[in-house]
Amino acid sequence: MPVVTVDQLNVRYPGRKVPALDAVSVAVEAGQIVSVAGRTGAGKSTLCLAVAGLLPRVVRASVSGRVLVGSVDVTRSTQSDTAGRVGIVFSSPGLQLSSSKPNVREELAFGLENLAVPRDDMDERIDRVMGRLGIAHLADRDPLTLSGGEQQRVAIASIVVMGTDVLVLDEPAAQLDPLGTDEIAGLLRGLANDGRAVLVAEHSAEILAVSDRCIVLASGRVVSTGLPGAALADSVAAVGIGPPTLVVLAMAGGVPPAEAFNEEAVARALAGAGSRAAHLEAATSTRVERATGSGAAFVRDVTPATLEIRGLVHRYPGGVEALRGVDLTVQPGSTVAIVGQNGSGKTTLAKHLNGLLRPDAGHVALDGQDISARLVSDLAGQIGFVFQNPDDQLFNSRVDREVGFGPRNLGLEPSRIARLVENALGLTGLEGERATNPYDLDIPVRKLVALAGVLAMEPSVLVLDEPTMSQDRAGTRRVGSIVDAWAASGRTVIAITHDMEFAARHFARIVVMREGVIVLDEPPSQAFAAQNATLLETTGLKPPPAARVASRMGLSGAPADADALLEMLAARDQRALARSEGYSDEATTS
Amino acid sequence: MTRRASGYFTAGETWLHRRNPVTKLLAVAWTAVSAFVVPPLALPVLIGMVVVGAASTGLLASVVRSLRIPALLFVSIFLVNAFFYPGAIDRLIAIGPVGLSWEGIAFGLVSAGRILAVFVASILFLFTTLPDDLLEALVDKGASHRLAFVVLSAIQLVPRLQAQSAAILDAQQARGLRVAGSVFARARAVVPLVGPIVLGSLIDVRERTLALEARGFGARRDRTAYRVVEDPPVDRWMRIAIVLSLIAIVVAVLAGWLH
Repeated sequence: MPVVTVDQLNVRYPGRKVPALDAVSVAVEAGQIVSVAGRTGAGKSTLCLAVAGLLPRVVRASVSGRVLVGSVDVTRSTQSDTAGRVGIVFSSPGLQLSSSKPNVREELAFGLENLAVPRDDMDERIDRVMGRLGIAHLADRDPLTLSGGEQQRVAIASIVVMGTDVLVLDEPAAQLDPLGTDEIAGLLRGLANDGRAVLVAEHSAEILAVSDRCIVLASGRVVSTGLPGAALADSVAAVGIGPPTLVVLAMAGGVPPAEAFNEEAVARALAGAGSRAAHLEAATSTRVERATGSGAAFVRDVTPATLEIRGLVHRYPGGVEALRGVDLTVQPGSTVAIVGQNGSGKTTLAKHLNGLLRPDAGHVALDGQDISARLVSDLAGQIGFVFQNPDDQLFNSRVDREVGFGPRNLGLEPSRIARLVENALGLTGLEGERATNPYDLDIPVRKLVALAGVLAMEPSVLVLDEPTMSQDRAGTRRVGSIVDAWAASGRTVIAITHDMEFAARHFARIVVMREGVIVLDEPPSQAFAAQNATLLETTGLKPPPAARVASRMGLSGAPADADALLEMLAARDQRALARSEGYSDEATTS
Repeated sequence: MTRRASGYFTAGETWLHRRNPVTKLLAVAWTAVSAFVVPPLALPVLIGMVVVGAASTGLLASVVRSLRIPALLFVSIFLVNAFFYPGAIDRLIAIGPVGLSWEGIAFGLVSAGRILAVFVASILFLFTTLPDDLLEALVDKGASHRLAFVVLSAIQLVPRLQAQSAAILDAQQARGLRVAGSVFARARAVVPLVGPIVLGSLIDVRERTLALEARGFGARRDRTAYRVVEDPPVDRWMRIAIVLSLIAIVVAVLAGWLH
């Protein structure tokens, strides 16, 4: 008997022509994690809101069909029916906490107060949940000073403590670093094992890997359902984007879907040469995203610039030393990915590149000129900086006007501005949205608008802060092709990222930061190779999935993605074949 | 700047920290009313009281630092009154209808002084009161929980907006926006800086609302409280004293005894 039964659910938002959900049915049983995959706008969030009982009571929409949690239809219930039965966690860690509680313990008490739990019972319930979720050590901390991963665990705890047996999560790991994502994945598995029902919308492999079942949505309809490995592989044609790297490799190795996220099983299967040839064909057919064009043709004028950072030290008020002597030279046309845990100094370093922060010691030079005396707004034409949160900069009522804001600030001629805006819209694939209000777009698309706004200024150096955060795989590919195009035109791209596969695919240098210094600066094939695994672990990082599988197979080198690993294997097979033929030739001649 | 849940609160164990938030809120109200009704000659006494209050908690330095922000307001109130006091007779300098007058200077000083007294009292309240304690104390005194929560959120909005404005300033400068220079350039920068605050806040409100719903906020009428806010007998006596003395001051002013 499922705890959650979604039965023929249709949802249409006011003013929208197409339904957000179209005859969706899904069931979640106690002890199960069901993940919901699909591209941005496919209806994942809507399904989450519906199961959490927020549709149409809080978010207005016309709803038909049923969503049963236990025996209550939550689309027709009041808040007092659902509070304490089902809870939802969203992607922004900071926004979910009440933000008024001085410590984690009182944050957890907030839900209990609302349910009128007697004061004397609160501490015991809070302690039990904190212990179970591994956050007891955070009890006296101010929630707003925690890391994103810790805040997300507190947010989950604050729902669980209410006695909720159905937990809904809408992309809980979208804004977390790899370590934080692993923490959440482990936590969800534990909660399900305790007998709760978990429904989670997410595209990170770590969370898909701990799910029991996966449903894939496309344009509001369920296009496939089953074990995560199988459901993702089956939905390639309908969704128009390939499955995660591990699933591609699992298909290539003929690994059963249940084991698709088990690196060891995938590595073992791929090592068996016999099975490989038969399945390579299947894997190739999943590579539809390769067809989406890169925007290289759009990028023209090249004004190369060399960035030089020497002995950079930065202290924040209060004495925290965020950078402790950083040296980095970036030649024109190079691509550098800066990786490391939250708090390792990545963003602090990036903010020195365009003068947003001033060094306490050392200097930053652009083409040999120290930039410390220059205004941020004067550097903007040469050094473009795209921030993590697009909502800190969008304010125009039309996308094209928003994108033209930077070029207008540079004082360019209107005809040139128009051309730059068109180029930027083309690169980001926003041609169809030029008259749209940016705030009518989903956050991943808003991020592309913010990116387009900086591309339109044609800076020599492009600095991106977490450009793929909250993007789905299609959005990540899009950002990747922009990086490739920008670098191909002789410009520099520097990105701060938690997405190791994105870093390995599109960047020539991987710069690893830890506690305010650079601890590794190598091309991805070396940075992510087996010999660096221990060092990466100390920085809370792990190589991209394909490299991890390669290292389990004992291969030297670190392939960036599934294609690179499969090509590596094919080349090795060919060499082996050539050797064995050569050997047999020798045998016959002698 | 790191944002904290506790807003402007500075932890401490002083006599003022130990007061019940409602007592302190009444004291702020007392100061606000008194500052505007007492005759100018009593004003220095009032300002002296709040300054001594601040000094007794060791927060005088922080209070003085926080005066940097409204300093411009105090100065402009003083200057406008000093120069534009209507019907001034005792003029020091006269430029047509405008002129510096003794009446204006006196009135300007008094006006700025009244606002200063209220400001310092309010800051002292924020520094020594945990927002959550205020909420529980108000609910305890019969205020609606939802209303108290709205008041609390408003108090906490200020530090949140400060952090957000800093991020927006960075982002727009990085897109070439000049925020310094001529009056024209500054005026042009207003929309790009204010726009994202408003729009971003609306988005935040949506997510916060959904999150509060999920936490069962407002689900029931009967609600329990985790925080226990102390309300010692001395606070009750203090509140009675504050109310009685406020009535006395108002009556005295109305009766003209203080003139």
